[in-house]
This record gives sequence, C-alpha cells and structure tokens, in this order.
Amino acid sequence: MALLEIKGLKTRFFTEDGVVHAVNGISYDLEEGGTLGIVGESGCGKTVSVLSVMRLIPEPPGKIVGGEVLFEGRDILKMDPDDVRKVRGNRIAMVFQDPMTSLNPVLTIGRQIDEALELHMGMDKHQARQRTIELLETVGIAEAADRADDYPHQFSGGMRQRVMIAMALSCNPRVLIADEPTTALDVTIQAQIIELVKRLREDIGMAIVWITHDLGIIAGLAERVIVMYAGYIVERASVKDLYGDPRHPYTIGLLGSLPRLDETRKRRLFSMRGLPPDLIDLKPGCPFAPRCDYVIDRCWEETPPLEPVTLGHEIACWVDVKSSQPSKPAN
Amino acid sequence: MARAQSVVEVEKVEQRRRWWEFWRRFSRNKLAVVGLVVVFTMFFTGIFAPWLAPYSYTDQNLDAVEQMPSLAHPLGTDELGRDQLSRVIWGARTAVIIAPTATFFGVSLGLLFGLLAGYYRGWVETVIMRLADILFAFPGILLAILIAATVQGRIEAWLKGFEALEGFVKAGFAQVLVVIVALSAVGWPGMARLVRGQVLSLREEQFVEAAWAIGARPWRVIRHHILPNAMAPIVVSISMSMGGAIVAEAGLSFMGIGIRPPTPSWGALIIDNYSFWRSPAAPVLLWLPALIVGAMVAAFNFVGDGLNEALSPG
Amino acid sequence: MVTYVVRRLLWLPFLLLIIGLITFALGLYGPGDPVLVMMGQHANPEAAARVRHELGLDRPFLVQYADYVWKALHGDFGESLKYRGQPVGRLMAKRLTVTVQFNVVVMAVGVAVGIPLGILAALNRNNLIDYFIVLLTVAGISLPVLAIAPIAMWFLAARFHLLPSGGWDGIFSRRIIMPTLVLAIGPAAVFVRQTRANMLEVLDQDYVRTARAKGLREYTVIVAHALRNALIPLFTIFGLMLGGLVGGGIITESIFGIPGIGRLVWDAFGARDYPVIMAYTLLVAMAYTLANLFVDVCYRFVDPRIRYG
Repeated sequence: MALLEIKGLKTRFFTEDGVVHAVNGISYDLEEGGTLGIVGESGCGKTVSVLSVMRLIPEPPGKIVGGEVLFEGRDILKMDPDDVRKVRGNRIAMVFQDPMTSLNPVLTIGRQIDEALELHMGMDKHQARQRTIELLETVGIAEAADRADDYPHQFSGGMRQRVMIAMALSCNPRVLIADEPTTALDVTIQAQIIELVKRLREDIGMAIVWITHDLGIIAGLAERVIVMYAGYIVERASVKDLYGDPRHPYTIGLLGSLPRLDETRKRRLFSMRGLPPDLIDLKPGCPFAPRCDYVIDRCWEETPPLEPVTLGHEIACWVDVKSSQPSKPAN
Repeated sequence: MARAQSVVEVEKVEQRRRWWEFWRRFSRNKLAVVGLVVVFTMFFTGIFAPWLAPYSYTDQNLDAVEQMPSLAHPLGTDELGRDQLSRVIWGARTAVIIAPTATFFGVSLGLLFGLLAGYYRGWVETVIMRLADILFAFPGILLAILIAATVQGRIEAWLKGFEALEGFVKAGFAQVLVVIVALSAVGWPGMARLVRGQVLSLREEQFVEAAWAIGARPWRVIRHHILPNAMAPIVVSISMSMGGAIVAEAGLSFMGIGIRPPTPSWGALIIDNYSFWRSPAAPVLLWLPALIVGAMVAAFNFVGDGLNEALSPG
Repeated sequence: MVTYVVRRLLWLPFLLLIIGLITFALGLYGPGDPVLVMMGQHANPEAAARVRHELGLDRPFLVQYADYVWKALHGDFGESLKYRGQPVGRLMAKRLTVTVQFNVVVMAVGVAVGIPLGILAALNRNNLIDYFIVLLTVAGISLPVLAIAPIAMWFLAARFHLLPSGGWDGIFSRRIIMPTLVLAIGPAAVFVRQTRANMLEVLDQDYVRTARAKGLREYTVIVAHALRNALIPLFTIFGLMLGGLVGGGIITESIFGIPGIGRLVWDAFGARDYPVIMAYTLLVAMAYTLANLFVDVCYRFVDPRIRYG
C-alpha cells in the first residue's frame, strides 16, 4: 500500500464570476521514501491540489467536491478536524513558495518552531527550544541559539526558507510537501536549498512531493513526475522517460522551451503559443486542444483519459505523437 | 480622412465599453446602488424644492403651532407653526448647495497642494505639508467656527454692495457662502495628504520614470500618468467628504454660526428643535432631520465604497 | 529613535506659535467685540474705551501677541473675560479633569465593545452575524452625536425614565451612562470596522496558512498568529482618539450638561472669551501632536519590523 494515495481529487472555487474548476479529478500515489515531482505552468492547479490534500483550501470560496486522500490507509477528507490537525505539521508537513510572507512577522522564529514541537511532540518549552536550536543547526543556520530569538525580517529570503524547512521537519514527518520552495530565491540559493532537502531526505527517510514549474530542478531530484495542465494530469512517467521520451504535446512543448547544454546543433527555442484556458468556463474536450499542434477533431469533443502508453508511462492524449506529424508547423 | 473617422468611432465604442464595465462593477455592490438612489433623491428634492414643498418655509401659522402630523401637515408644525415637511424639503436645497461646493473647493485646493508637494518635493513640499500639519492639529471643528465667525461680517458687507443680490442675502446666501468658505478651508489638508501620498508612491513606478526618461513635461506626467492612477482614492474621498460637509454644517449651526433661522438646513432644524427632545413630537421635529443627516452620510459612504470597488484595478 | 523624538518635539513650539498666531488673528479680526459683549451693546463708548485700554486690547496686534506669548511661557494664559478675575489656566484645569475622566470611560467602552465585535464579524465573514454587525457599524459611523443623542434621550430618559438625561456626578454615577452610551457608539463603530478589515486581511496572509499547516488549533491560529498582527494598525486610530481626549466634545458636553472643557469653550465662544479659546486651541494642538508622537514611539515596541527596521 502506498503511503499517500490520491484518488479522483476535485476542487472547485465558487466565486462571484463563476465556478473555478481548479483541480479536475487527479489521482496519484506516493511511496514510502519516494520523491514525486509535479510540474506545470502557474495556475494549473498544482498548489491547490496539495493544499486540498492538507485540507488547507479556504472554505468558502473553495470546496473539495470529490475524491479521496488516503494517508496510511485513512481518508483525510473524511477525518474530523481534530484528527486532521494531528496529521498536519506532524505526519505531513509543508514548505511554501514565498518565505518572505510565510512566517509570522511578529513572532520570533524560535517561537514559531517551538509551538509545533509543543503541540505534536508534547515537549515543554525548554525541551522544545533545545530541539528548535538543533533543527536550525541542521538546516545550516549559524549561531542558532541566538538567532532563534530573532524575528523573520532579520533573515534573508534563503535563510527564511531554511527556517521554514526546519519547521516542517520538526516533528519528523512521513511526507514533506514542498510548494515551489525555491521559486522566490536566487539561483545559487536555490541550489543550496535543493542540496539541503536531498541530504535531509537521506537522513530522515521521508517521502517528498516537490511542486515546481522548473523542469530542470525536478530532473535531479524526483523519481517520478506528474505534468499538470488546467487541473488535469496530462502525463505521468519516470524522470528518465519524461525527459527522454515525452509523449504529451504539452510536455513536448515545455521541454522544447528549455535551453539545453548538451545540444550540439543550434536550434531556436520553442515558445508555446496561446495561454492556459480560463478555468471558469472550461469547455468540454481536451483543455490543451486550442494550443496543440497535433490537434484532431476528437480533441474538441472528448476529454482524453490518462492511459498507459508503455509500462509506467501514462498520457492523456488522443494522438500518438510518435506516428503523427504536427498539423501546424512549430514556430 | 476615413481612417481618422474610424479611429474616433473606435474610441467612442471603447469609451462606452469602459463606462459599461464601470457600471457593472459599481452595481455589483447593492448598497452602493441604494446609496446612489438616496443621493439622487437628495439632489432631486433640493433642486425642485419650490415645487415640492407644500408651504413656504417661512410661513408661520401661530394658530397651529407644534401640531402632530396631520393630512394638512404630514410632518406636523414647529413652535412657530411652520410646516415641518416644507422645511425639511428646503433643507435639502441648502445641503445640495453646500455639500458639493464646499467639497469642490476643498478638493481642488487639496488636489493642487497635494500634487505640488508630491511632485516638486523640496521646500514646496515642506511648506505645504507643515501647513497641513498645523491645520490638522487645530481642534476639530473649532477652526471652521473661527473662520466662519471671522468671514461672516465681511461676506455680508461685501454682498450688500451688489444691489441685485439683495434678495439672495436675505435668503441666506451670505450664510451659505460663509459655511462654504469655512468648510473648504478646513477640508483641503486631508485631501492634500492623500494626493501627496499617491503621487509619492506613483513617482516610484516604472511608467512614471519612463515618462520622465523620454522628457515629458511635468504637467503631462501629472495629467497622463499620475492623476489617472491616483483617481480611485480621490474619487472615494470626494464622495465621503460630501457626507462630512452635511454633518459639519450641523456642527456650525450648533455653534450659532452659518445657517441661521429662518433659512432651513437639516443642521439648523436639529438645533432649533432640540428643545423638543422630551416632546411627543420629537420624532418628526428632531429625529427626522437628524436621521436624514445620518442617512446622507451613510449613502455617500456606500457610494464611496462602490466607487472604490469599481475604480480600483483587479 | 531619540533623534527622531527630539526632532518631533522641537517642531512643537513652532506649531504652537503658528496656531496661536492664527487663532489670535481670527479672534482679533473676528466679529463680536468682547468688550461690548461684556458691557452690553449700549455701553458708554468712553467707558468701553477705558476697559479696552485696561485689557490692552488697543495695542498693535503683534505687540499683543508677543505679550501673550511671553506671559504664556511663564504659565499665565490671561484672565477669562466671561468669568472676570479667574485665570484661564485654573479654569481650564478644573474642567479638564472632568473631560479626561469622561473620555477615558468613553474610549474604554469603545475599545471593549469595538474590538471583540470586529473580530466576531471577521470570523463570521459573509454570514448573518457579520452582516448584522456591519449594519450596526454603518449606522454608528454615519449617525452624528447630534442624531443619536435626542433619540437615546427620548427613549431612555423622557419615555421610560430608565436613566438621567445627563449631568455630571463623577464617573461612578448613573448620570454618566447615557452620555457614554451615545458618545461611545462612534469610536466603537470605528474600531469594529478597522478590526474587521485588518482581521480579514491578516486571515488571508500566507503565515496564517503556515500556522494552520502546522496543525495548530483554530483558536491558537487566531489568537496567537492573526490577532496580534491585526491589532497593531489600530494604534493609529487609538492615537487620534487620545489626541481628542482633552478636546472633549463641544456638542456632547453641551447637550448632556457635562461641565468639561468642551462646554467651557462653547460658553466662551458665545461670550467671545478669546483668552479661553486661545488656551483651548493651544492645549488641543499640543495634545494632538504629543499623542501622535506617543503612538509612533509605541509602534516601535509592538511591531518588531519597525523596531529593528
């Protein structure tokens, strides 16, 4: 049995302008100790899908309208609020995108880590602070004992993200969900944070869900990758297959827009035309059809299901890109 | 030629579309629409007061004083037998004259000083903002009272010089002018601070820097880049200060300054009838004008909220 | 920090000097000759001139003002023209104690009612409780004291005889209840509106989501994480009210017959008692400026971003 099993998750936002179909029935598993990457453009439902797992969707206007989230065999979506809180921060922890706004500005960072330890591990104030300082040292904060009494704005962005990671790891979670944790950081800091997470993954042995729009990061980190588009999973494969043999036109487009160092021949970078669809009035058919170079008539009528093409490699597409030519030339 | 015409045509359509979009966003706030209706009612009543009021606001009927509401006098009569309904209707006229004019002058001064301070910085800013600080530190309405008391005699004397205006002076024109002068003088610093703040933050925006970089003149930068973007808070504050002017007028009346009997204003009606607070006629003589003042403030605030939602981006 | 406070304090004398000058000028060139008010419209012109000379009112404007400033610096704010022979300073001090006591009670009620209601409204965003509180707030903000007072007085005093209609007997007397009720509605409404708005903004912040993701109880999330951030901006309003503390409500005190400083000024204005009006203006300007400074300093203690910023 997988550690975390998501089945047919659907999340909607009921706004004044209409119903936003943010997540439209996605399913995936996370094995004990495994690392899963979720990639896609901004607004494709990556973040909403993981917030739904933690039941952190603001309600209203959001609502999880369908599916199951099985963690260690129990459905989080059916738990009572007290049980959900015992999972949050304790069994499943999360690191957010923007370290500048994710820490409370009026509380010391030590206090913000202590409270999780006191809550989930039943430590007293002294034990908690002891552990907090250890954690801060683990994530590479110098003079941790002093800095625990500092406020978030006294730290740089990269340091704050380290604090967030220390906070997430404080109760030895089984799953760490990282929602674009490096997007807001400088490239050099990004690399440090990724190295840190890799090292901690070895030490603690937790499973990781890493969300990003940066395909480069995923390549060195995850074993399996999910590509999301307009609230759907459009392709799922091992890292090797996804990069070596992408099968969904959207994935091909994404990879085509990346510059590659190992390329000998000069080639024009591909840039995908059009914009992601408005999730308010999602039309029937494949959501990617309007931007797709391989589009056929069927794409406008039926939404393709996620189906295997080879072992462990699934796509949601009516077309086999191996045997068809783009109907429109790539620019 | 044909091309130029089509451009004008397109602009017209574009403008109409923008107005429609503005209205759509404004009317999403139901309270704002209610507020707008109330404000329109006030303007309508004020403008057409002579035709709407059943009696003259000065006609005394000493045989029918302090009457409870009846068919002849739907809101009863006051201590001099004047028809309360007519006085309330004429009060709307005073409000319709005072609120927009006092706001207009206050806002214009504030806009001018705020733009100057925010745009030129340096000593201009120091002088203007210090002046605003000083006016802010004055106790509440006392400055308006002192100004009103000081200019009252002068304005009356000045208006006496115009023979043709004699009738107006009698009709309380001078008093109205006094209130307008006092409220404008007190009203501008708030607007100046608001505008200056807007300009200061907009100066840092890239599009303003870009306009500067290509050598646009100051006035052009203000007109095309700064004003349109500072519009939302300014318009909102205009709407709110209309309600404020109506309350401030009542405060001046309380101090015996500005609108005085027999000229009716809602403020003056409250003050004149305050001695009826125990009387069974209090609801029509006293509460009604008081509640109208409150309702106007609320209405202008609602309209302000609606404008804010309609004008701010996003 | 110290430099900042000193700079702000250095501005105060200039502020008072200019405000004094404006008030003095408006008083001198304004209508209503205090001597005529004092002696009656039909006073003997010679006698009036003599009184005017005695009071020094026939000297050039700037000389009079300089004289005023010089005496004021020595704590002498002149004599009241209405209450002859009474030094303005002592007159004001007596009234000030009443006004400050009364306003402290009003502010305490405003805060005690306003902040919890604001939080309650924010936590019930867009349901009936929220709408009801917002409706009350709109009424409280829109209705001036002049509108609330007669209605409250009619119901509570005239009709049902539940409370005295006003007057002053110290803050522990029943007389204070009605004026407090009427006057606290405005500040309470302002606090509700601001608390609700801040709270809603804070509840949408990323760090509140972080707190929830930690598994904290909703109560802890709100009290330990959201509330403190939401209350900090309230200090600004608090400061403005603090400045108004000594000013007293001219209208309120007159309506309810509270012998405070606002009532004193109302009477002084009727009698063109300019020494009292002058002293009042200076007092309020000083209180306003010091209150603002106090708030700025307080911010440094409650908001770590400013403290170390």
